[in-house]
Amino acid sequence: MHELLLFASVPAHQHHELLQQLAGLTAMQPRHRLERRLVFKASRKPGLVTTRVGASQDLQGADMQRLNKMLNGGMYFTQVVGAVTEADLGATSSATDVDVSMSGTDGPSYCYENQSWKLEFRDIPEAGTRSAVTTRLMASASLPKGDIAVPMNAWGYSFVTEYMVEGDVFVQNDIVIFLHRVLLYPPAGPQEAHGPRRSLPAYHELTPLERTGSYVLQAAITVQDGGNQEMMKTASQHLFGLREQLKSAVRLEQADRLSLDTRAK
Amino acid sequence: MSTLTPDQIKTLEQSRQRLVQLTHSLASLITSLNQSDPLPSWTSLQSQATIISNNLLTISDHLSDNRDLLSTLVAYPAPSYPSRNPTNTVALEQLLRTKLDPRVEDWVARGRKAGGALLPPSSSSSDHPPYGGYPSGYSGDNDGNKPLDDLAALSELWDWAPVEANLEARRRNWGGNFTLEERESGIANVVTGLRRVLEDDEDESGSEEDEESDVEGEGEPDEMEVVGVRRRSGAGATGVEFDIAPAAPSSHPGQLKAVAPEVPLEDILRFMTVGVVPGQR
Repeated sequence: MHELLLFASVPAHQHHELLQQLAGLTAMQPRHRLERRLVFKASRKPGLVTTRVGASQDLQGADMQRLNKMLNGGMYFTQVVGAVTEADLGATSSATDVDVSMSGTDGPSYCYENQSWKLEFRDIPEAGTRSAVTTRLMASASLPKGDIAVPMNAWGYSFVTEYMVEGDVFVQNDIVIFLHRVLLYPPAGPQEAHGPRRSLPAYHELTPLERTGSYVLQAAITVQDGGNQEMMKTASQHLFGLREQLKSAVRLEQADRLSLDTRAK
Repeated sequence: MSTLTPDQIKTLEQSRQRLVQLTHSLASLITSLNQSDPLPSWTSLQSQATIISNNLLTISDHLSDNRDLLSTLVAYPAPSYPSRNPTNTVALEQLLRTKLDPRVEDWVARGRKAGGALLPPSSSSSDHPPYGGYPSGYSGDNDGNKPLDDLAALSELWDWAPVEANLEARRRNWGGNFTLEERESGIANVVTGLRRVLEDDEDESGSEEDEESDVEGEGEPDEMEVVGVRRRSGAGATGVEFDIAPAAPSSHPGQLKAVAPEVPLEDILRFMTVGVVPGQR
């Protein structure tokens, strides 16, 4: 799959207004989304990964092959994304009593063992394209629930860092608009520095990465068959259409290619 | 009696053709009414009616143009006419009639009656029900309603309407969010269907503070109204401007001012991609 993207930086004072404008444009209420994202980095040389350990029976054939290719190809940073809710923030960890916390019944407490994860692989954006949109290869696969650091380590990925993404999603035709910002966790104790947190801090303890609280507007179209030039062209034209519509509010642009470089050096 | 000239034969032939056309279009209208279920759409009915009316017009023109010829013609069978054949005999009898067919006489009588009804005052219109508001009343105003197709009355209406509309418009205050009636019966009862509290222009600054806090206080991103891209700012002079973002939600209540982002977009994306904290490169 390929992903076509345009980005814009949205100052904090414009955020509320832009939400209104996007709600008007897309005729829908914003879907609030809160995600914790873990950044992993391939840490071994390709080819060394021969065994697959962990609860890999969740993965279906096609996903498995894709994942395998990703793992054995060049070395990349990948992200593991888990959706959380506001109620999870600051809730006490209930990681110990796994039996009690069946899915959906775990109440206000955040259960790390029950956190569902999605692996999101993004290639470095394609170079030398004439089009004024960012185009990159992407793939996603669902991962086993719970402590993801163990299987990721076994697959040759080491934990780099994690952060929280807060934002609102709109959908206009085939365009997914995500107005979001990065929130950082408060400095962790030494025992949590080398893996994902098992509990989440309260919302007010999170600090935005961008100190003025600005947001990033991302408009994305996913194309299943990236080799279909016609489809890619149509998709980028749709993005340009959105850019025209939002021209008076924000300036959607292609992102700097190297800032989205996922290759591990 | 002289034989017919080719021109006269041509005229007769034209009459025949036009009558054939008319019977065809009438027959097709009848079949479409009889056979199509549901009834044909009104557009097709209307076009068929137009065709028939055009046929009638051409026939009527043709007949009146050649009135002299057609009224003096006399039909008689030539000796060679094959009158033995019974179907031919029927046609012959029809041609030799001196009076109209009784059915046709009925039609003609009805037609004359209907036509007479449309004629100006001389004929009485009593047997035709008035339809559509301006009936047979060319003669004057019945029930005090002036017929609109009277040109004088029409221009009188045109003279009257703008003034009256203007007077009606002046009685209302067009600027505010509420009408006079709504304000008199209490604006709290008005169902606007909006989640945002509409301000009332007539009230002075006191209440605007409340509304400001109503609108801006929560900063709840879940409760957006679906509004247009442009929001008209309120008329209040105290600086209630809804089109300026109230705040970044809850965590930064103090930051109302326009502050340009300090960290460039590239660095944010880089952090999201590989976790490199901005400023550490």
